[in-house]
Amino acid sequence: MLPYWLPLLQEAEEHVPTSPFEPEFGVIFWTWLVFGALFFVLKKYAWPAILSATEERERKIAHQLEEAERMNAEAKAALEEHKALVAGARDEASKLIGEAKTVGEAEREAILNRAREEQEQLVDRAKREIEAERERAIAELRREAVDLSLAAASRLVEAKLDDEANRKLVMSYLDSLEQAR
Amino acid sequence: MIQGQIDIGEIVLHHAADSYSIFMFEWRRMESLQFGPFNVTPTKHVVFLFIAAFLVFLTMKVAGRKLEAQRANENAPKGFANAIEAMVLFVRNDVAIANIGHDGAKFAPFVMTLFFFVLYMNLLGLIPHGATPTGNLAVTAGLAVLAFLVIEIGGFLKLGPAGYMRTIFPTIPGLSGPGAIAMSLFMAPIEILGKMVKPFALCVRLFGNMVAGHLVILSIMGIIFLFGHLPFWNWGIGIAAATLLLGIMMLEIFVAMLQAYVFALLTAVFIGLMQHEH
Repeated sequence: MLPYWLPLLQEAEEHVPTSPFEPEFGVIFWTWLVFGALFFVLKKYAWPAILSATEERERKIAHQLEEAERMNAEAKAALEEHKALVAGARDEASKLIGEAKTVGEAEREAILNRAREEQEQLVDRAKREIEAERERAIAELRREAVDLSLAAASRLVEAKLDDEANRKLVMSYLDSLEQAR
Repeated sequence: MIQGQIDIGEIVLHHAADSYSIFMFEWRRMESLQFGPFNVTPTKHVVFLFIAAFLVFLTMKVAGRKLEAQRANENAPKGFANAIEAMVLFVRNDVAIANIGHDGAKFAPFVMTLFFFVLYMNLLGLIPHGATPTGNLAVTAGLAVLAFLVIEIGGFLKLGPAGYMRTIFPTIPGLSGPGAIAMSLFMAPIEILGKMVKPFALCVRLFGNMVAGHLVILSIMGIIFLFGHLPFWNWGIGIAAATLLLGIMMLEIFVAMLQAYVFALLTAVFIGLMQHEH
């Protein structure tokens, strides 16, 4: 048997003006109207409540990102500054060391010079003293020699010779010897 | 014999079509209800448009209120409200903003409304005595025209008059002088056609998917009536058809969600394409 509602259904469907493949403008009109209304109603009354937390979070994250970027830049600048400071300090230090080196060098030079001078002076004095000592020794030797020669000569001639006059004679002889040498 | 008295194909086709009746309520086309030259008597699908819109609004309103209450009490979001929030956020972030770019938040309400409206309309057809407004070419065409307007006007506002004209008369790289102008002019009809084809595809894809699902379900139901007169076999046929129907109904739930997603996603992609046209 037929289900009781089947002819009913068919009868009802006979009022249908279109097949599904024929778009009717009236329905397009309603679609726009309903969609537009839904869009604005949702935008005003529904989305803010649902999205507020997310949007708040997004804003916060964006803000934090900005902050982080700013701080990063600041840190970079500080690091740069610090680096410059360290480099400056190093330059200063090396300059100081260089200065100290030159000063030390000069000082060393001066001390060495002084020492050399002193040494030369010492050597000179010693030389002079040695020279004087030698002169004295030679004179002594010479006098001794004269005395000895005179004593020996007086023994030989067995005559008492005038001391002073003879000494002068011998001295002059010796001088002549020296000059001849 | 049933098939002698009733044309099953006719019933199936009419059942998928629009009408002036829901369940047992019938009304007449009101000739006086005109909008310009067009009759705007509400049909079955118009009523379901309203029902879908109302349900979307109700869902979002309730979810929003619950979320606000949960936040006020500093409770973690849970249950229904959390599920809706997750869906809304998915559409907003991964469908709208991900495809449109930095201006995605501006277009997100449009895409979200589109997604949930289409989703509810698709699902309404799966309820007994329900109808799918998106199974009506006029509804999908109306939505596609809206998408078209949003895509093009959004692009126009973003690119400016000169930039927008360049999407119609493209500058061809590597060409200059009269050759470039000629090529630009030749390309213009193709570009305009390209602009039209996108919403047309949106419209036909959604309509086709929805109507096809209904036609398949109704046709399998029709098998029951076609072979209902066979003694003994009618049981087997009935059980087999009902099992098959259950499977197809499950598939239809998936298709309803998928097509709403595809419609919203492609709209967002097209908006994004226009926004980033250079």
